[in-house]
Amino acid sequence: MVDILAESKAFTTVRKDQRERVFKAFKSSDGFYRFITFSAALTILVLLGGVIVSLVIGSLPTFRAFGLDFLVTEAWNPVSDKYGAMAPIYGTLVTSVIAMAIALPVGLGIAIFLSELCPDALKRPIGIAVELLAGIPSIIYGLWGLFILAPFLQAYVQPALISAFAPVPVLSSLFAGPPYGIGLLTASVILSVMILPFITSISRDVFQTVPAVLKEAAYGIGCTKWEVITKVIIPYTTTGVAGGAMLALGRALGETMAVTFVIGNAHRISTSLFAPATTISASIANEFTEAVGDLYTSALISLGLILFVITFIVLALARLLLMRAQAHV
Amino acid sequence: MSTHAATLYARRNRKSKFWLALCYAATGFGLFSLFLILCALFYEGFSGLNMAVFTEMTPPPGSAGGLLNAIVGSLILTFLGVLVGTPLGLLAGTYMAEYGRGSKFTTSVRFLNDILLSAPSIVIGLFIYEIVVAPMGHFSGIAGVFALALLVVPIVTRTTEDMLLLVPRPLTEAASALGMPRSYVITKVTYRAALSGLITGVLLATARISGETAPLLFTALNNQFFSADLNAPLASLPVIIFQFALSPYKDWQRLAWSGALLITLSVLILSIIARVLGTRKIAK
Amino acid sequence: MNSDAPLPQKLTIRNLNFYYGDSLALKNISLPFYAHKVTALIGPSGCGKSTLLRVLNRMYDLYPRQRAEGEVLLDGENILAPQQDLNLLRSRVGMVFQKPTPFPMSIYENIAFGIRLYEKLPKSELDDRVETALKGAALWNEVKDKLHASGLALSGGQQQRLCIARTVAIQPEVILFDEPCSALDPISTAKVEELIDELKDTYTIIIVTHNMQQAARVSEYTAFMYLGDLIEFDVTSRLFTTPERQETQNYITGRFG
Repeated sequence: MVDILAESKAFTTVRKDQRERVFKAFKSSDGFYRFITFSAALTILVLLGGVIVSLVIGSLPTFRAFGLDFLVTEAWNPVSDKYGAMAPIYGTLVTSVIAMAIALPVGLGIAIFLSELCPDALKRPIGIAVELLAGIPSIIYGLWGLFILAPFLQAYVQPALISAFAPVPVLSSLFAGPPYGIGLLTASVILSVMILPFITSISRDVFQTVPAVLKEAAYGIGCTKWEVITKVIIPYTTTGVAGGAMLALGRALGETMAVTFVIGNAHRISTSLFAPATTISASIANEFTEAVGDLYTSALISLGLILFVITFIVLALARLLLMRAQAHV
Repeated sequence: MSTHAATLYARRNRKSKFWLALCYAATGFGLFSLFLILCALFYEGFSGLNMAVFTEMTPPPGSAGGLLNAIVGSLILTFLGVLVGTPLGLLAGTYMAEYGRGSKFTTSVRFLNDILLSAPSIVIGLFIYEIVVAPMGHFSGIAGVFALALLVVPIVTRTTEDMLLLVPRPLTEAASALGMPRSYVITKVTYRAALSGLITGVLLATARISGETAPLLFTALNNQFFSADLNAPLASLPVIIFQFALSPYKDWQRLAWSGALLITLSVLILSIIARVLGTRKIAK
Repeated sequence: MNSDAPLPQKLTIRNLNFYYGDSLALKNISLPFYAHKVTALIGPSGCGKSTLLRVLNRMYDLYPRQRAEGEVLLDGENILAPQQDLNLLRSRVGMVFQKPTPFPMSIYENIAFGIRLYEKLPKSELDDRVETALKGAALWNEVKDKLHASGLALSGGQQQRLCIARTVAIQPEVILFDEPCSALDPISTAKVEELIDELKDTYTIIIVTHNMQQAARVSEYTAFMYLGDLIEFDVTSRLFTTPERQETQNYITGRFG
């Protein structure tokens, strides 16, 4: 017994010495890997910081020239070198709001269908279809909007709306003017189709977190399906749905290509939804490479900064809501 | 049940039926939109698709030609964008899931990474313009690569963190129990166990950037001629589509549709592969 | 063996307290583990037996907010000391887990991988070591024709023996078993138990089990734990036949747990 022990002890000492070097190598390898992965994580923060700083620096000439008036000036005149961000901001907000007004109810409707009404056999194919809609590159939406949707709206929908609302005081000015096909409304419709899948997939996911017992209890006291949806499922998931909606709004605000094709690129604010207009991203996409002169370029970069600030706030809010929804589950 | 209660119940039922019918309609609307888009894309895209699209350069206005330079440009940009962006995302995601798991630093990186993930891509283009194009003095393929890489990073970071967190703890503990340092555990065991998930993330990122247009507009710009020079402007499918679609020339518009079809098909194929890999991961 | 001669202690726990955050999970434990013996840790779930095991190779260090106070001596050296090299410790104190944890690689690689960590061997020597390890885990005959198949393709019992082989291959001094048979069928369990019996000639073995028959079958010493306390430690046969404490009596006769 003692012999075996002594033997193993001697063996141990030899091995320990032999391995000592290995462990030293381990230590440095581990320290090295920790360091480079940490640097990579830090780089993400640096990149985001870099985006902000570069946009701010690029915007300085604009704000030096126009001050905060830049934000509330409608004029955009490369010839006289006078720039104001009001029209693109207006276009961005209006298209996004209309797109949300269309996409939110429809997206929720699809999410309700998928989680409560859909037969199991159809869940997967329809789910895939929704994801497909999300996967289509935005330029395809733009192409489709320009060649298919805009002519269709121009030929059938817009004339009908114009004549239908002509006698109504406020609405007549909303739906006024010649039916160009392209303009605020067309851009909004395209945007709404684009953000639909975001609202649907996030809502469906949070709907599925509602405990079955809660729904069963509601059915148990004789609630109709719609009552279960509005009184149990939606109240239980408000935070998550709101987060998904904000995420979609962030997309809509920053979307470039789909809008650029059909917005008409006109720097003015008109009451009619049929009028050509512009958004922040469309202005940048259309004009940046042609911008001559430092102030013109800077004005476009300022637009980018404004867009980034708006979307940053919206997206931060979205993430906070989604984080809270996750904690709640 | 009293008559009053009965009529009330009937009314509630009607109301329920009405709103649920609207949900069906919403689904119909969504599917119909997808159907319309795909129909137009396939009809217009295939009618213009022929060998010339793959063998000839983009034509001058008013004449026929192909998309060869744009296809090659897009392949170069996408490939290099993924190549540059993936390691950074992989390493950052590794830190967040392993060394920095649960720390405040990780939480804030995740939060800001998620914002970067959905930030408008055109703003990313502006950033690259400022730090690459402006100092260099001209548009270039390399600037386009950086812009796309910057879009890849947040996607890969996100999926890497998620996938590494899914690796069962006993497996990493078993590796540690052999006396392996953390770096070995991660690189030799955890990555291997999460491999299909990690590849899924890279494929999703590839799909995302292969259709990206906005950040390329003023980084890689465009090139009417064949070029693989990263120091010069580089053609790409999305930018060509943008330019050709908005032109008044029928030939150009047809090529735009064909290009759109090619992009959509590649995005579709990438998503399907990613999906198959993803479900295999779950099946295990 | 002469029972009054003091046995050499491979591991010695002295006044160990263990915390998950603020909650105390192990309370002032002192316990010896004798060299080349099998010691079983038993007790109802939540008693801290697995926690205790995870202190012995400092597995808890992987997680923040878990900490140990007191002393754990391995050959007289305190392994809880902050300057302890964890990789060195874990190469000396191996561990086999509750569920089989083959790495996502071939059977051969599963074992060769651990060896290569510490030694640069020529291919033929490496092959020998892999073979020895697999034989040591009584797995060689079952897998010798499919060494390059995935470790995940083996049955649960085979996977567990692969994990034992992997642990043995890097020549530790102590092997910790954390309920190694809880996911296995009776036949595989019997094989693993036989294996443990053979391994104790070379290694000091500590096994956590919730199966009292298993503890009685494989161990020479048994410690009974309850709610973070060490209630009783004795020679297995004595603990199971004439326990000194009422709690032990209750547990082994099945009155709780």
